[in-house]
Amino acid sequence: MSTETTPATPAPDAALGLGPTLECVTVKVWELPVRVIHWTVFLSVVALSITGFYIGTPFVRVSPEPGFLMGWMRAIHNLAAFVFIAAILARVIWAFTGNQWARWDQFIAVSKERRTNGWDGFRFYAFMTSKPPAVLGHNALAGATYLVLFAMFLTQIVMGLALLSLETEGFLASTTGWVFTVLPIPWVRFIHHLIMWLTWGFVVHHLYSAILFDTEEKTGVLSSIFTGWKRMPVDRL
Amino acid sequence: MPVLAAPPRSVLDSLLNSGVTRRRFLEFCTATTAVLALPIKFAPQIAQALETAEKPTVIWLEFQDCAGNTESFLRARAPGVGDILLDVLDVEYHETIMAAAGDQAEAAKEAAIAKGGHIVIVEGSVPTAANGVYCTIGGKTAVQILAEATMGAAAVINTGTCSSYGGIPAASPNPTGATSVPDLVSGVPVINLPGCPVNVDNVVATIVHYLTFGALPAVDGHGRPLFAYGERIHDHCERRAHFDAGQFVEEWGDEAHRKGWCLYNMGCKGPSTFHNCPTQRWNGGTSWPIGAGHGCVGCSEPDFWDTMTPIYGRLPAPPGFGVTTSVDKIGAGIVGLTAAGFAAHGIAKTVQRKRAERANETPIEIETTAAPGEEGAER
Ligand code: HEM
Ligand code: SF4
Repeated sequence: MSTETTPATPAPDAALGLGPTLECVTVKVWELPVRVIHWTVFLSVVALSITGFYIGTPFVRVSPEPGFLMGWMRAIHNLAAFVFIAAILARVIWAFTGNQWARWDQFIAVSKERRTNGWDGFRFYAFMTSKPPAVLGHNALAGATYLVLFAMFLTQIVMGLALLSLETEGFLASTTGWVFTVLPIPWVRFIHHLIMWLTWGFVVHHLYSAILFDTEEKTGVLSSIFTGWKRMPVDRL
Repeated sequence: MPVLAAPPRSVLDSLLNSGVTRRRFLEFCTATTAVLALPIKFAPQIAQALETAEKPTVIWLEFQDCAGNTESFLRARAPGVGDILLDVLDVEYHETIMAAAGDQAEAAKEAAIAKGGHIVIVEGSVPTAANGVYCTIGGKTAVQILAEATMGAAAVINTGTCSSYGGIPAASPNPTGATSVPDLVSGVPVINLPGCPVNVDNVVATIVHYLTFGALPAVDGHGRPLFAYGERIHDHCERRAHFDAGQFVEEWGDEAHRKGWCLYNMGCKGPSTFHNCPTQRWNGGTSWPIGAGHGCVGCSEPDFWDTMTPIYGRLPAPPGFGVTTSVDKIGAGIVGLTAAGFAAHGIAKTVQRKRAERANETPIEIETTAAPGEEGAER
């Protein structure tokens, strides 16, 4: 399967008194960079959303004393934006250099096998079966939703950089200025704002699916994003 | 004000003749250097160019317009730029201000066109629907008039948003098929000076630039000269410190409004609008919209009537939801519906599993291999 597949019965399971787990393998599915990137993206999206929401709707009334609240919000937004961009870039690189569960073909179902797997995923969600699709990484349907998320993030980055170019000159403006020949500035703001909400819609779906699969599939999805390990009965491999 | 068969005179001659002192002329050159955002060392070059330059012939065309740009042109700061402009230019044809009428006016125009090398200033958009019948002058449609007048012209200067981008006549649903001048003219350099109305200082500066350097000034992606439209209103606004501080007007006439705080929450489009209003200002440099307490409406941006509205809302209204619905309501609604949808899905999924268990099916393969252990793994 993979070089990272470890034989059964690692110490934690025994310690937890889980009984015989010989039929299971425990696999390091999410490598460290994947997990670090995941949480960097999460934290930066939280920071970007709070500051972005304030930029869009300055909800804090400040006292008459002059301060720099909006200034700080925008500064943090820009800082978090570059952390976010770096994380997304790193993930794109990792999609070509990481292990088989991090690869780009997890998100774009090019093989017949992956497409069947995606169909199984759909059948599971659509109540047509109670069996989750057999897969150790993402099932192909989940992979497709991450592709949508990626497209949203990419749009968000391009629109954000374009908005930033309004107040800067030179490189940014010359690389993202084309955005405003396609979309008027207020609509760029609108879409940038809307994608924030869509991202949180995604977070709801993402959390729900993680919990659902954790209960139905029992492969330890929830803990895997902290530890990297997932468990799988051998006959499903 | 058609100058009837006047011999070519230099700009300076004409100015001195009309009583402008040399001192005033140099002041004008310096001020225009500043509008053009050129280093002050260019002032002598501009003065020299205007001293020798031949008065350019101008044909001013009005189509679907409100004559606001003409108003702006005539009400320029006194005794100032506008007067000088009128003296600097040979305005052969201008419907609103010319003395001639009818055939005489048309003849003056035709003579100027025949000579060539003239500057065409256009105010208003050009209707193209129904073969252009929505705007005809002297039996010709605006489309024809524009095509004839720009033939052999040295440059076309669009004053105001309507000729530059279609403006209000072209706003949805655009019943007359109003079209911008750049979309109709080819083969002649065209520059856009949008705004409702145009700031006459920018018209003068553009013409002076043309006379001095023999070319139109550098433009941005929307065909606007960078000297006037290269900077955002928001970045030069006198209320900007209040923006950065987070001090916003929440209601017209509230304390914050009386104190001159930022108009962001009142729908100010300064953050999305490029224009030199904050620095060049209006009415002889005395004030400007935001200075007077109203947010910017974004009039110098393409399609502003469709994209910068609602005027008192910061973001466009979501399509199909009406103007009172905000993107936040839609967004929060989407998140809420997603949550509700998945909650229902979760309940249904649990029921499905319980049923499967009760029917003594093996609900998932994993139970066949490591059932007891896996139960314990659940938290
Ligand atoms: C998931 C990531 C992001 C979220 C959720 C987010 C959220 C937001 C929101 C809600 C706004 C307010 C929009 C409005 O109502 O006008 C905003 C503004 C902005 N964002 Fe983002 N953003 C994200 C990523 C980025 C990125 C990658 C950049 C790139 C530099 C960026 C740069 C900006 C800029 C420049 C503004 C405009 C600030 C202003 O008008 O003063 N954002 N963001
Ligand atoms: S009033 Fe408008 S342009 Fe001025 S700082 Fe506020 S938002 Fe910006």
